[in-house]
Amino acid sequence: MDTGFLLQLALNGIVIGLIYALIAVGLSLIFGVLEIVNFAHGQLFMLGAFAMLLIVSGLGLGYVVGVVGAVLLTGVLGFVLYQTLLRHLGQGEFERGIILTLGIGMVLQNGTIALLGASPNVVDTEFAFVTLDLAGLHLDLQRAIAVGLSIAALAGLYLLLHHTRMGKAMRAFAQNREAALMVGMRPTRIAGQAVVLGVAFAGLAGAALAPVFTVHPVMGIPILFKSFAIVIVGGLGHIPGAVVAALLIGTLESFVGGFSSLSMQDGVAFLAMIAILWLRPSGLFGKGVRV
Amino acid sequence: MSPTASEVLDMPGLRTRALRRALLALAAAAILTLPFWAPGDYFLKVAILALTFAVLSTSLNLVFGFAGLLSFAQVGFWGMGAYASALCAVDLDLSPWLSIAAGGLASALAAVVIGAPALRVSRASFVIVTLSFTLVLALVSRSWLELTRGPLGIPGLPSLDLSLPGIGTLSGQDPSVFYFFALGLAAFAVGLVWRLTACPMGRVLLAINQNEPLARSQGIDATRYQLFAFVVSGLLTGMAGGLYVFHLTIVDPTIFDTYYTEMLLIIVILGGPGNLWAVLAASLLFTAIPELLRVGSEYRLVLFGAVLVASALAFPRGLGGWLEQRRFDRWRRESRR
Repeated sequence: MDTGFLLQLALNGIVIGLIYALIAVGLSLIFGVLEIVNFAHGQLFMLGAFAMLLIVSGLGLGYVVGVVGAVLLTGVLGFVLYQTLLRHLGQGEFERGIILTLGIGMVLQNGTIALLGASPNVVDTEFAFVTLDLAGLHLDLQRAIAVGLSIAALAGLYLLLHHTRMGKAMRAFAQNREAALMVGMRPTRIAGQAVVLGVAFAGLAGAALAPVFTVHPVMGIPILFKSFAIVIVGGLGHIPGAVVAALLIGTLESFVGGFSSLSMQDGVAFLAMIAILWLRPSGLFGKGVRV
Repeated sequence: MSPTASEVLDMPGLRTRALRRALLALAAAAILTLPFWAPGDYFLKVAILALTFAVLSTSLNLVFGFAGLLSFAQVGFWGMGAYASALCAVDLDLSPWLSIAAGGLASALAAVVIGAPALRVSRASFVIVTLSFTLVLALVSRSWLELTRGPLGIPGLPSLDLSLPGIGTLSGQDPSVFYFFALGLAAFAVGLVWRLTACPMGRVLLAINQNEPLARSQGIDATRYQLFAFVVSGLLTGMAGGLYVFHLTIVDPTIFDTYYTEMLLIIVILGGPGNLWAVLAASLLFTAIPELLRVGSEYRLVLFGAVLVASALAFPRGLGGWLEQRRFDRWRRESRR
């Protein structure tokens, strides 16, 4: 077998895995702190991509402005959604959270279709059609930038969670809600911060992927479902687990796509999830399990 | 002689009870004779869809309203039943009736296979696993060309005929005949779920739903009961899919559309999870509304999404729960007098 081909597949897998990681980390963060499975996450990712489209192709501004704008806009949207809707969810109202976020997602997605149409759009940035040559491996510049952004964001998240009061409070909430309340942490503030952060990560992923793929209102659905599978494989609410699982599944998909059919490639994440649930129900890195 | 207090109190109760009986009898008569006064085939087709949705939403109600499991597998069961039934009829030349049964069995089997591992972990995993089940089936229906013929689907399903001795053969191609087939399945499904929830098992499911750790501490094997409810819902939903494809005469991957999932959830949530009759009424209502609201589908879905958000915030127990609360409040007021 040609090693160059294998390395190229591995590289492609890592690139897409890092983007999955951005989305899965946001999901995991929101689940860890609020115990909500955010069914609107794919639509928020889509809105990040649309923000990029409107800023770059609509207003004619550059790539950097687009990414920063997309992150800010989705972050603000996350803040509004939390303050107006998600804040009213009580503890243990798990199903209600799903119904609520599912409804939010439907409004966002179909509202986008109603306002902007369902047809796919291309984001034309100044970095298009540039390919890097890394010792025989090819990497599109926009993908390379997406990788750089993901790595920077994930590293930033790591620093935030481990070295700031805000991040430590989020981890505390995810680990033991009652104990966190007992030492006087404010649940609504911390949950709000987690939602803003998680949604902004989805927006960043959307902005980073927008120039690589086409932008359309239902683009969030398949990627959300894959992220669900990733989050399960990594262990629900476990953030490093989500990153590792995202990289694993991205690579696995790339290899399956390289040697088999495209439809098999789409099925890999689900098969991995079912296998993990049989073998290790709490995911690769999950906490204790109810059996 | 002036009437006693109890007589005065009973009078309005009696009147509303008699009224309710009369209304129920009228509704039953209307449903039973619908094909004879229906204004046209289009109306009948909507009625058939409504009855099919009645089966789907009652099954979801059993799983979500009674067993407390938010299942996204229902549309998967429905599509799986549809495909299994169509394949049995077309590729294996089974009789359509046997094919429908096979569709139901296939979905019930799938419910065991995915339900057993999914119930081991947590409610969150259950949601995600059931959702993925539906997505994988949609993927298979599009991609496994040898089996499912891919996006074009399987056309030309045989007619669903019923031969009755003495009467002759009733052809399912006639919508007014098919209406009665759909009515039969809906009656079977609602009757079965009603029996299950009225017997002690229904109480057990309710107990699990309300407080699972407490139920477990009483020695109830919650997982087994939940799995049973899930499998029954798979069976009924699969049969509904199997029956409905003979009405469509074609099955293709659009049967897995997320639109069905959203509709089902709206019906059960707005009707009131755990309230059999309210959900049934909601399913008849909500299959008619999209036909009445002839607006663009994206506006309709925006509206439905907003309805979901509003009901999750304002009426967590649906219309049925709200009516029940009113009834309790009335009892409380009356007992205080």
